[in-house]
Amino acid sequence: MNSNSTPTPAGPRPHLNPYLAGVLLGLVLLASFLTLGVGLGASAGIARVGAFAQGCVMPQHVAHSAYFGAWGNDPLRYYLVFMFVGTLLGGLVSAVACRRVQPQLERGPTASRGLRAVLALAGGILAGFASRVASGCTSGQALTGGAMLVTGSLLFLGAMFASGYAVAWFVRRQWQ
Amino acid sequence: MISTFFGQDGLGSNAALALSLLLGFGFGVALEQAGFGSSRRLAGIFYFRDMTVLRVMFTAMVTAMLGLQLALALGVVSAEQIYFLPTIYGAQIVGGLLFGVGFVLSSWCPGTAAVGLASGRLDALIFLGGAALGSILFNELYGVVGLLASWGDSGVNFAWAALGVSGPMFALLFAAVAVAAFWGSEWIEKRVAGAGPYLGSPFLKAFSVVILAAAFGVAMLPPAPSARPAAATETGLLQAIEAGEDHIEPDELADRLMAGDAALLLADIRTPNEFAAFHIRGAVNVAADLPAFLAPHKNKGTIVLYSNGMTHPAQARDALARQGFANAYLLTDGLQGFMETVLKPVSLRETPLPATHVAKVNAWRAFFLGSAPAPVPVPAGSVPADGPRLVETGWLQDNLGRADVRIIDLRPQPAYNGGHIPDAVRMDVEHFRGAIAGVPSMLLPADMIARHLGLLGITPKTMVILVPSDKLHDAALVGIALERVGHTRYAILDGGWEQWTAEKHAVDSRLPAIAATDYPVKPGTDTFTVDYRTVLSHSQEATAVLLDVRPADFFTGKKSDEARAGHIPGAVNRPYTSDITTNNAVTRLKPAAELAEAYARLIPGKDTPIVVSCRTGHQASQTYFVLRHLLGYHRVSWYDAGWTEWSARPELPIETSVR
Repeated sequence: MNSNSTPTPAGPRPHLNPYLAGVLLGLVLLASFLTLGVGLGASAGIARVGAFAQGCVMPQHVAHSAYFGAWGNDPLRYYLVFMFVGTLLGGLVSAVACRRVQPQLERGPTASRGLRAVLALAGGILAGFASRVASGCTSGQALTGGAMLVTGSLLFLGAMFASGYAVAWFVRRQWQ
Repeated sequence: MISTFFGQDGLGSNAALALSLLLGFGFGVALEQAGFGSSRRLAGIFYFRDMTVLRVMFTAMVTAMLGLQLALALGVVSAEQIYFLPTIYGAQIVGGLLFGVGFVLSSWCPGTAAVGLASGRLDALIFLGGAALGSILFNELYGVVGLLASWGDSGVNFAWAALGVSGPMFALLFAAVAVAAFWGSEWIEKRVAGAGPYLGSPFLKAFSVVILAAAFGVAMLPPAPSARPAAATETGLLQAIEAGEDHIEPDELADRLMAGDAALLLADIRTPNEFAAFHIRGAVNVAADLPAFLAPHKNKGTIVLYSNGMTHPAQARDALARQGFANAYLLTDGLQGFMETVLKPVSLRETPLPATHVAKVNAWRAFFLGSAPAPVPVPAGSVPADGPRLVETGWLQDNLGRADVRIIDLRPQPAYNGGHIPDAVRMDVEHFRGAIAGVPSMLLPADMIARHLGLLGITPKTMVILVPSDKLHDAALVGIALERVGHTRYAILDGGWEQWTAEKHAVDSRLPAIAATDYPVKPGTDTFTVDYRTVLSHSQEATAVLLDVRPADFFTGKKSDEARAGHIPGAVNRPYTSDITTNNAVTRLKPAAELAEAYARLIPGKDTPIVVSCRTGHQASQTYFVLRHLLGYHRVSWYDAGWTEWSARPELPIETSVR
């Protein structure tokens, strides 16, 4: 297994066997089901940070807006915000321990920085918007709802890959 | 049996937040170890060169799925303790399609981008900024796209139920598909990129066998673990209910109690207050954690549950049956039935009784009411208290199906048609308003309101329950319409429709059967509506607190959608939105103590004359309800015509800045 191979002292360690990583992820999700009583999530944390940021600039507007307004005066006091912070910390500790922290704008060898940055931004806006429409993202809908065998979440998973594959060819240049 | 934070309604507690941080940490480690801190790797799945995403995701789903099904089958956790996501077809399909495009453009998703940022990826930071912007965009467009987010809401809905198989059986199917996908992904990766490191490897063979064996094991487990008498299977349970085997009749219960039957445990599952006000002699009060309390009596003797009506005990009894209680019964027609059958004095009965039965009734009454022939005590809570107030969902649940309760659903018709509280009728707040003497949006005259009430089958004795969605002032305005005809037997459902559904109470889409009545009109019942002359006099002589409840910008005159901008001279501003709070989409009034304190700062005393107004009287109706019925201010008037009329009468003075 490549997870057991000896790393060179300077380079990043190889990744964990994906199947074992999947088991680890599944166990974290199961632990969340059995303790919190809810699954994992990420997009709600980002959305609440967005609501908080907008609230700093336009407090009255946010307080009276139909969607963010419902989150009250302190949108950051919510379990999914804490989970998101935990995800960042967990990722950081794991990446540092395996020497995988590499500051860079990741892109294909011949792709321009501008193209990659624009696509990352556009994709972010779309994903942020879509995860509010569906009340969840890959984590909160596809993974969590899928593991619960919820009909709508499995449809989300299918729709997500269907449109992803449909559009993949048009944006292949960023990885060439 | 695990009790989760969700089950205890404790997701907001500090302990839950700390646990979320910890679980998030594990989530981050797992994603990073899988290599999801790299967008290039994530993008691989879309070009068939690196199928890691598929392997990790499917393995994780199967692992958690089998673990959850196992925990449910072994009774480690019950389904009520877990928040199952609702299925909202439109939102999830459209959202999924949009999300997929965002995913492939950026090659990030929210969770992996967090790990990407931790790994130093600049594109992850750009993605996260974009995602926050996308969320803000959604909020800004909520008026247009908000409907999409609830389009096709069909509640909690499992794929296995749609296919007519059990959850564990579906999980076995899913695991088989996942294993096939693993092999397929290795093969395709080898073809496209010359990789596919695990194709045919001993590891993947062993892993596939382990997963399939685990899934098979879970699927073969019996559905529920505890001692399973006949009634515990779903069909057995339904048959028992069908045959009425789960009921005990009031007279049989009365006889057994009088005979001192030691094998009988009578559990009153109402609130302690209701129990204290009245209960059947010999009953014990179990307001919380019924299964734990009854555990020592499981399948020993006879357990009888009762509440005011039937719904609540029936649900409790079904839950007990699923946990293996074969000896739990419910009292037919609850406490009301017991009153009717056992305790009602012979003299008040509609049909004459044979002499033997008369003696029996008298013996029952002597036993259950004591020797004094006191009138039948009315259990608190079973008969609605008079007077406008808020009412809890639990009360409504217990009183569903009563002929003297009428539920009015104030949501839009498509929402109502999609499902409503059983027997609720739908009305729109605008049914009670019209143009009067040239002023738009005025509350209709009493005779027209009475006609509406008659068509809803309401009589002066009916308790009317108003069910708003997030617009509490819809209910308050209909409340004012009721008060105009002198009907004060009404209540607003606390938390409205959202609270009802959040607690997963019964929902029905059938139309109720309503027989129209002739609601009598009594003159002179509306003593609270005032016109502009009264308000002008108050304004000039400072004889009342003029409370303008519009948003601050309209009060100051910064914004205007009427003839003139500003407010009535001398008025003070307290926006109606300051009195409500929304949490998890449930809108309700703030705690009475908080409201009392806020209004005490604006109004000198409970006897101070107050006039509430807004633009059309709609928002002000909510403040009227708060002041008059919640906080006990005695002299509250309502200027229905409001700023629409005042601003359009050039002879009336206005003020445009805050005093």
